[in-house]
Amino acid sequence: MGLEALEHVLEHVRPTVLFHLGPVPITTTVVNTWIIMIIIFVLGYFISRRISVMPRGIQNLLEMLVDFFNDLLEDTMGREGRRYIPVVGTLFLFILLLNLSWFIPEMKPPTTDLSTTAGFGVVTIILVQLIGIKKQGLGGYIKHFFQPTPFLFPLNFIEELVKPVSLSLRLFANMFGEKTVVAALFLMFPLFIPVPVMVLGVIMGVIQALVFSLLTVIYISSFIQGH
Amino acid sequence: MDGLAFIGVALAVCFAAFGSAIAQGIATKGAMDGIARQPEASGDIRTALILALAFIEALTLFSFVIAILLWTKI
Repeated sequence: MGLEALEHVLEHVRPTVLFHLGPVPITTTVVNTWIIMIIIFVLGYFISRRISVMPRGIQNLLEMLVDFFNDLLEDTMGREGRRYIPVVGTLFLFILLLNLSWFIPEMKPPTTDLSTTAGFGVVTIILVQLIGIKKQGLGGYIKHFFQPTPFLFPLNFIEELVKPVSLSLRLFANMFGEKTVVAALFLMFPLFIPVPVMVLGVIMGVIQALVFSLLTVIYISSFIQGH
Repeated sequence: MDGLAFIGVALAVCFAAFGSAIAQGIATKGAMDGIARQPEASGDIRTALILALAFIEALTLFSFVIAILLWTKI
C-alpha cells in the first residue's frame, strides 16, 4: 500500500516526458523553464520600456531589489562588489520565479527536478572559480588551495568540489520536500488543510532563492578577499 | 521485512529533524538575544540567521532525500 501511495504523491512532483525532439526527451521541466524565461523576458521588456525617474508600480519593487543587492555586495566586497550584481540578481530573480511557478495551475516547478538545480550549482561554481582565477591570477588561485598549510590541500580541494553539490541539493531538497508534503496532505485532506503549508511554500521559495544568491555572494567574496 | 524498511525510512527523517530542530532553536535564540541587545544590528543578524538556518535545514533535507530514495527502492 505504501508504494502506491508514494507513486500517487510523486506523480504530482516528478517531471513527465511531454514529447521527443529527435532522441532527446523533452520533459515538463524544460517546457516550464522556457515559459518562465518568456515571462521574465516579456516583463523585463515592458518594464524597461516605460522606465521613469519617479518609479511607479512594479518598478518600485525592482528598484528595491537592486538596492538590496547593491548594499549586500558593497557590505561584503566593498566598491568593486557592484560589478557582480548582474550575476547575483539574475540568479535570484530566475530561481524565485521558478520556485513560485508552482502556483500557476497544472505547473510542476522546474526546481523540483534535480537536473535544474544541478545546472544552477555547476554553472555558479564554475563562474566563481573563473572570477577567482581572474582576481588572484592562476598562481594565486592554485596557491589558495595550499593555505594555510600545504597538507590541508585535500580538504581545500574537497571543499571546492562539494560546493556545487550542496548548493544544488539544498535548493532541490527544499523545493521537492515542500511539494511532496503538500501533495501528501492533499491526498489525505483535499480541502483547506494544505493551505497553511502552501503559504509556507511561498516563504520557502523566496528564502531559498535568497539563500542561493547569498551563498553565491559569499563564495565570490571568499575569492576576492582571500580566506 | 518490508515493515522494517518503512521504520528505517521514518527513523532517518525523524532523527534528522530532531537534531536540526534543536540546532535551529539554539541559532534563533542567539540571533534574538543579539537583536534584543543591539536592535540597530538587526539587518546583519537577520541575513546571517537566514544563512545559518539554511545550512542547518539542508542536513535534514539531505536525509529526507535519502529517505525518499530508500522508500522508492523498497
